[in-house]
Amino acid sequence: MQRILTLLIEFKEYFILTLLVLFSIILLTLNDNPQLKAIRSYTVATIGIIQNTLAMVPNIFELQRENEVLRKLNVTLLDEVSRLREAKLENTRLRELLGLKEKIKYKFVAADVIGKTLHLQRNTITLNVGRNNGVNVDMPVVSEQGIAGRIVAVSSNYSIAQLLLNKDFRTSVKIQRSRVDGILGWDGSDRLMIKNVSKKQDVKVGDAAITSEYSKIFPPDIKVGVVISVDENPVTLFKDILIEPSVDFTRLEQVFVITSTVDTQRVNLESKFMERKK
Amino acid sequence: MSRYIKFIFISIIFIVLQTTVANIISIRGISPDFLLIWIVLIAIRYGQIESTLFGFAIGLLYDLATGGVIGLSSLSKSVSGFMAGYFFNENKTEITLSTYRFLLIVLLTSLIHNLFYYLIYLQGSEINTFRSIVMIGGITALYTTTISLLPVFIFMRKYSFIR
Repeated sequence: MQRILTLLIEFKEYFILTLLVLFSIILLTLNDNPQLKAIRSYTVATIGIIQNTLAMVPNIFELQRENEVLRKLNVTLLDEVSRLREAKLENTRLRELLGLKEKIKYKFVAADVIGKTLHLQRNTITLNVGRNNGVNVDMPVVSEQGIAGRIVAVSSNYSIAQLLLNKDFRTSVKIQRSRVDGILGWDGSDRLMIKNVSKKQDVKVGDAAITSEYSKIFPPDIKVGVVISVDENPVTLFKDILIEPSVDFTRLEQVFVITSTVDTQRVNLESKFMERKK
Repeated sequence: MSRYIKFIFISIIFIVLQTTVANIISIRGISPDFLLIWIVLIAIRYGQIESTLFGFAIGLLYDLATGGVIGLSSLSKSVSGFMAGYFFNENKTEITLSTYRFLLIVLLTSLIHNLFYYLIYLQGSEINTFRSIVMIGGITALYTTTISLLPVFIFMRKYSFIR
């Protein structure tokens, strides 16, 4: 016993490191633990308060640039609104003719980005909305440019959203022009990639990628990005499609959390079916 | 005891800096790791045990605060704190902090940190681990080293009377 104690004291640095590494590994396996989620919720709340305070300091140069961009956007949007009104009227008439159901309206919660961690190891943003605003884990986050990410942690007044550039991010998308479906994922850099698209499918550089109806998290038809390269890998049966995200993550300041997307009836039916198959 | 309270307070400031300033100065998604510079500073000034323990605590707090995988930063940062602690020498603290030695320690520690981080983080994904370690990890380490020039200049002025 005495010898073990002497050894531990002599090599205390190694002993401490081993303990901490083991503890970290245990934490890695317990990421979905409710207690750990509760601790995270408190940390998010505390850091959120600090970031919220810091976010109050206005950046004059940024405000000036933003003002200019907004003025231009306003003019473009006014023109688009009038055209969309026309299109909506036409759409309503056609829907009535075809007897189609009106698509479900989504509920949006506006949020300010009060903190960002934008580097390739971890791309997350902290939002000043939380459980009290109806925000919950797995809800989609969008900006006026398109899909930004999904909520991964919530406290009562703050939440953290994981952006698209993440190894755990996957969603169904389609090419807007040719309606080709695929799975969107991160390619490890600042780009996205679409997988599972056969070489026979029609995909061209410049095509827009949008969310598809197959996704359980994201609503359909929201812009994801633009195809910037299509390569035919001789080793596989699929195309290598690279996507430039439509959202400029470095300039995200205001976003919307969609709080009413999950079609529980559909999710329940699909999970019941999968269970039966097992 | 007061030293540890000071460490905790500074660590929180560094975490806030990492989630705010680091994004402003990021280049194509590559940001410097302020937390790592702080851990190396602790290692050089106070030794291996302190840097390992604080590496773990800072990493854990960062994981919790930023929505990352809990345990990943705590592991990689405690290992890097341990590595940086090898360069602790009570009699040469001032020289190490105010010369190129500090830059080399930050570079080496950062490379080891990123190696551990990506090896675990990219497990089970289709992303090229080797490319990520070399490209993203390597460039991040270089950027972090460049930023660590700042404390070197500060310590250079502070300890100029020694040389």
